[in-house]
Amino acid sequence: MTQSNDQIDKLKLEQVGKEVTIPAGIQVVKQGDPPVHFYVIVSGKLKVYRQTDDGIRTDLTELGPGDYFGEVALVTGKPRTASVEAVEESSLLEITKEEFDSVLDQNPKLARRIIYSLSQWLVDGDQRLEKETVHQVKLRQISWFDYLLIGGLSIVLALVFNLYNDNQIPLVYSAGPIPGVETISLEQAVQLYRQDKAIFVDARKSNFYEQAHIKGAMNLPVTFFDLQYPMFQFMLQQQQAPEDVPLVVYGGNISRRFDKELAKLLEEKSDRKILILADYQGWKQAFPLQEQPGKAVAAMPLGISGYIEWIPVGIFLLILIPPVRRSPYLSAACRIILGVIFIDFALSKIMRPAVFANNVVDYMMMPSWGVNLWSLVLPWGELVAGLFLILGIRTRAAATVIGAMNIIFIVGLVKVIMQDLPINCGCVGEAGEPVTWWKVLKNAGMLAMALQIFFYDRLFVLDRGGFIWRERKI
Amino acid sequence: MTRRILIWILLLGLVWGGLFVAGCGESREPYVGNYRSLEPYAGQGHVELELKDNGEADWKLTESGKTIKFKWRVENDRLWFYTKDGGIIHVIPSDEGRKLNADLTGQWHPSCPKDKCIIFERVPGKGSP
Repeated sequence: MTQSNDQIDKLKLEQVGKEVTIPAGIQVVKQGDPPVHFYVIVSGKLKVYRQTDDGIRTDLTELGPGDYFGEVALVTGKPRTASVEAVEESSLLEITKEEFDSVLDQNPKLARRIIYSLSQWLVDGDQRLEKETVHQVKLRQISWFDYLLIGGLSIVLALVFNLYNDNQIPLVYSAGPIPGVETISLEQAVQLYRQDKAIFVDARKSNFYEQAHIKGAMNLPVTFFDLQYPMFQFMLQQQQAPEDVPLVVYGGNISRRFDKELAKLLEEKSDRKILILADYQGWKQAFPLQEQPGKAVAAMPLGISGYIEWIPVGIFLLILIPPVRRSPYLSAACRIILGVIFIDFALSKIMRPAVFANNVVDYMMMPSWGVNLWSLVLPWGELVAGLFLILGIRTRAAATVIGAMNIIFIVGLVKVIMQDLPINCGCVGEAGEPVTWWKVLKNAGMLAMALQIFFYDRLFVLDRGGFIWRERKI
Repeated sequence: MTRRILIWILLLGLVWGGLFVAGCGESREPYVGNYRSLEPYAGQGHVELELKDNGEADWKLTESGKTIKFKWRVENDRLWFYTKDGGIIHVIPSDEGRKLNADLTGQWHPSCPKDKCIIFERVPGKGSP
């Protein structure tokens, strides 16, 4: 549609048309209008652009003195293919279609020149289209390598950090048989209980114990064994139970962390015989219980972290608006917010994995072999994916990883609510926040943000086709 | 290539910077010192507590002489004691740091529950005012 030509004089255009002055900001030609004039720029600056029906604008080029425009519509007789607007006050030579046709008839050299210009413009357009298509395809690309990179980096960083961390934990917790500790069936344990020939010890955290425990059982949370064992011994002495009365440890879940660990520690410290319940789930049905249901977990103030977590709920509402939902600028905002939240999550857990491991056990979802691995790698996964989102590295893969984490978190949170488990979520901060439906909504908001990034992110991306600062400009 | 190296340097810098900030917490200095429980514990005399400025702490039963080691830090004007098994004891200072109220439930509570609380008082020794 436009082409530079320094030799306007030779084209004999100066003999036709009239000179017009266009103030800055005024549209000379509007996309879609019928063709009427051809223009040659005498002075000033104009920009050429196209705009789609849904408002996406593509800047095509800028024109200056000696350039001309409007020839495509005049030659093809079709509506204007782009709009032209004055950037600054410009002076143009306005030539009617009749004058333009007349000049072409009299000047075959000019005609050939325009045909050449149009051909060149088409070739350039094809090349630009290809470049943009390749760029967009690269942005949309996602491969197993991306996941391998995020996963591999998280695992390597987790293992290396754990190696040098003062608070390191073993990679895998062994929940196998404990030498010197006998396993007894539920029936045998009930028999001992009825005959008052055993002391029952609940290995769980105090809030679980308070919610429901075997009537008469003592509580010795394994996480405070060293501190509370003297008190436990003292209470046993107060009970004046004969030395041959065994201790029956219970209170495990699928992780078998608390009951097995306590049985092991008691075996090392106590002179009594130690027994452990084989069926870690059945005691609630088999024994008389002492219950205190519905006791709320106290909420620790989370400060800024607590407020940031509400942003996804607002974003969730924004995403319901269709034009906003598709905005790449919203994607960029989502990336920053989600990145900050997940880095915050990660940093609160990385330093002391043993604390987080206990929170993982509380969810009663993870087998014993997976608790420590999950506790070590998950925070690093959160950190790496969060950083990738903020820096614009493999953002679609990072969004998928964070989305998957949110699905797991939502499943865990709903399970906790349905089973009325007295725990903190362990998501941010070591003491965390209570598990409520609000917490589920926050995670649902984060999931929606991850999906939005996956589908619409294409700005401020560091790898894949270069760094794009703003909406595309061809 | 150079840009990629810069990106990775930036990435690692952010990671280690973040960890450094996360690991620091608030200053331990006001609470460093020796403390003694007001009441005897578990029939084994009083508990002696020494909070060291390197983040380590000793919890000693006077009669048995047994010492338990753990780590501690300060956040939001509370002390956090970490056992080696991943338990957290929240400690609320009172009387301008002269007393420490240790919540043995392992849960966060706005105030220390009376039946699960050990109150310590600062005694002369290293770090005493």
